[in-house]
Amino acid sequence: MSAGIIDIDYVKYACTCGLLKTLQQLYFCRYCSELRCSFCVSHEVDSHFCGKCCENLPSPEARVKKNRCVNCFICPSCHHELSTRIASKQPATPEEAKATKRTYYLSCLCCRWSSRDIGLPDQTSATGSWPKRKTFMQDKEFFKRKQKEKIISYTDKTGITAASLRKRIGLPEDKPILKLKNAVKMVTPSIAQEDIDDFDEEVLTKSINLLEITSIDQRLLQPDVQPVEMNMIFPVQKMLSIKRSLRCRSCEHNVSKPEYNPNSIKFKIQLFAFYHIPEIRIVTVQPLRAGVPAELLIKFTNPTQHQTTISFLPFDTPIEIKESTAEVGGSKGEDDTSDLDKSLPLMKVIPSGAKVMALVDSHLNMSRSSARMVTPRPLDVSINCDVEIPSSTFILPPRDDAAEYDDFNEAHNIQDDKKLVIWRKSNKAFIKLIVTPKEDTSIGTVITAGFTMSHLYTNTITSVAENKKPQKFNHNIKLILDLGKSVGSE
Amino acid sequence: MSDIKMSRNSIKVMPGALVCEESKLRGDITIGKDCIVHPMATIIAEAAPIIIGENCLIEEQASIIYRVPFDKVEDKDNIPPLKIGSFNVFEVGCVVEAASIGNNNVFEAKCFVGNKVTVTNGCTIGAGCHLTEEQELKENIIIYGSNCQMREGLSKPMPQYSQMDTLMKILPNYHHIRKPSVKGK
Repeated sequence: MSAGIIDIDYVKYACTCGLLKTLQQLYFCRYCSELRCSFCVSHEVDSHFCGKCCENLPSPEARVKKNRCVNCFICPSCHHELSTRIASKQPATPEEAKATKRTYYLSCLCCRWSSRDIGLPDQTSATGSWPKRKTFMQDKEFFKRKQKEKIISYTDKTGITAASLRKRIGLPEDKPILKLKNAVKMVTPSIAQEDIDDFDEEVLTKSINLLEITSIDQRLLQPDVQPVEMNMIFPVQKMLSIKRSLRCRSCEHNVSKPEYNPNSIKFKIQLFAFYHIPEIRIVTVQPLRAGVPAELLIKFTNPTQHQTTISFLPFDTPIEIKESTAEVGGSKGEDDTSDLDKSLPLMKVIPSGAKVMALVDSHLNMSRSSARMVTPRPLDVSINCDVEIPSSTFILPPRDDAAEYDDFNEAHNIQDDKKLVIWRKSNKAFIKLIVTPKEDTSIGTVITAGFTMSHLYTNTITSVAENKKPQKFNHNIKLILDLGKSVGSE
Repeated sequence: MSDIKMSRNSIKVMPGALVCEESKLRGDITIGKDCIVHPMATIIAEAAPIIIGENCLIEEQASIIYRVPFDKVEDKDNIPPLKIGSFNVFEVGCVVEAASIGNNNVFEAKCFVGNKVTVTNGCTIGAGCHLTEEQELKENIIIYGSNCQMREGLSKPMPQYSQMDTLMKILPNYHHIRKPSVKGK
């Protein structure tokens, strides 16, 4: 996100899960008509690809190759990508020019490190033939030893994890029990030794040449070797990147799905809240003094193609669960909800179980109800400012991209409450609210105001599927506004 | 700056050098054989004359400024000229005030080299690196990255002959060129 230009964190929206996020960080599931954030959607790896050569790898192949690209390397000195260069060695005689083939070496354009620096011979082919450093992982004996210790996992074969199995057969959630195996081992006391190695006085007298010693970053790039000297560093195969899709946990529809092609940065599905929920920005606020009402101007923008009506509700309005999303299986932990503070304003349950079981569960037909519901966390915010909630509502016309270029289309027949709506143009409106910081706030404290916005949301999903009229309903969102520090004199 | 005779420009361009007229040259400057000075490059010989060796490439917006060295402020009349060696590349937007520059150095885009720095031979100062402290860069030193990390290169950077040749052909087509003059203007 272009943080700082669009993504300004003065106005925060409360996600369905109870986290506070900016509008740009939120998704909007059109099927549940709920806000979702990166924390309350399930992340799935769509494809593995190399960011340099843009090669797509199927996930089993990526796993075999340890999630690294075969052809691309990164510089062990500065972590930039290495480029393959043709060796420019002038042949001595014309006969030699015909006989010798082109040779290649790796070179970094950032720090000018090259594979010749560590004495790696030039290669005759550009890709594939670069020597690999022998590490202990390639040590066959080490592997044999490891394999004996290996515990057979059925997860790979069946796709069922222990957690999902417990859930399916109705056992309570597996709590991490302190296993006896992990109990504190008896420490063998150290014994003083008589003969000690001679102290190498060179450590104190010999001056260190920092150019020959690797930095911490360079050592940690190769954790298996952790080279100490610069001549021990070795080109590292580039890590693969992934494309991931995000899925709503309660309805299992995608909220974000990228295109498969690694060259494409577009999305097949991208349900940003930014495209569905009115955007709010703080225009101006009068100086805030404790107990003194101040005018707050905020701008509302309607991003949708449908007209919407916005009304204000007090901040602590409970947001009720909709029937469609409350379609929860019996796994909804009743003991979980009971110990929660009932006075919390947001008493809704959100799904948290991943979609791991969807495939294996199809014969049981419980994929939908497999989503385990958890109550949202309480909002982590302290409101120290009262907002005078206006009783009147206002209308925001649909977004019209052409309106920006049209200066004459200003006549709108909207009857506005002049006390509420200060100014409007196309799909935007400036709204005046009266805010009063609480009496006991000291000077210099950050004033946080909050209210619940209720906007009329037009859901076009059902109308497309069933040829019905678009569904319209009021959608409530809690908003937290950071109004800056309070001022005043003692 | 007031007590330095800036008004008298004495530009000597050796035959074979390509110096665009739109470049800003102030003071006593000698530009060696086969050098290329792009339009809008700045060379200011403030303290003493600047002598540039052969085959140097000075790109646009690059500036080479020879200020009074910090240790010679008392003795302004006996400042030796700044000798810049051969095969140096001054990339776009670099600011070089170094006290001495050897051969085969590359000053990458937007780097800054202060007047307390001595640059020997084969050094590369990476894009955006700022060197201000008093130091002498040993041969084949490479400075790179946002933290100005340092490493020693295997060999000096290769001269960009093909690029120089192309510029020699293209620049005269679009810019006015200073005539080579061994004598002063």
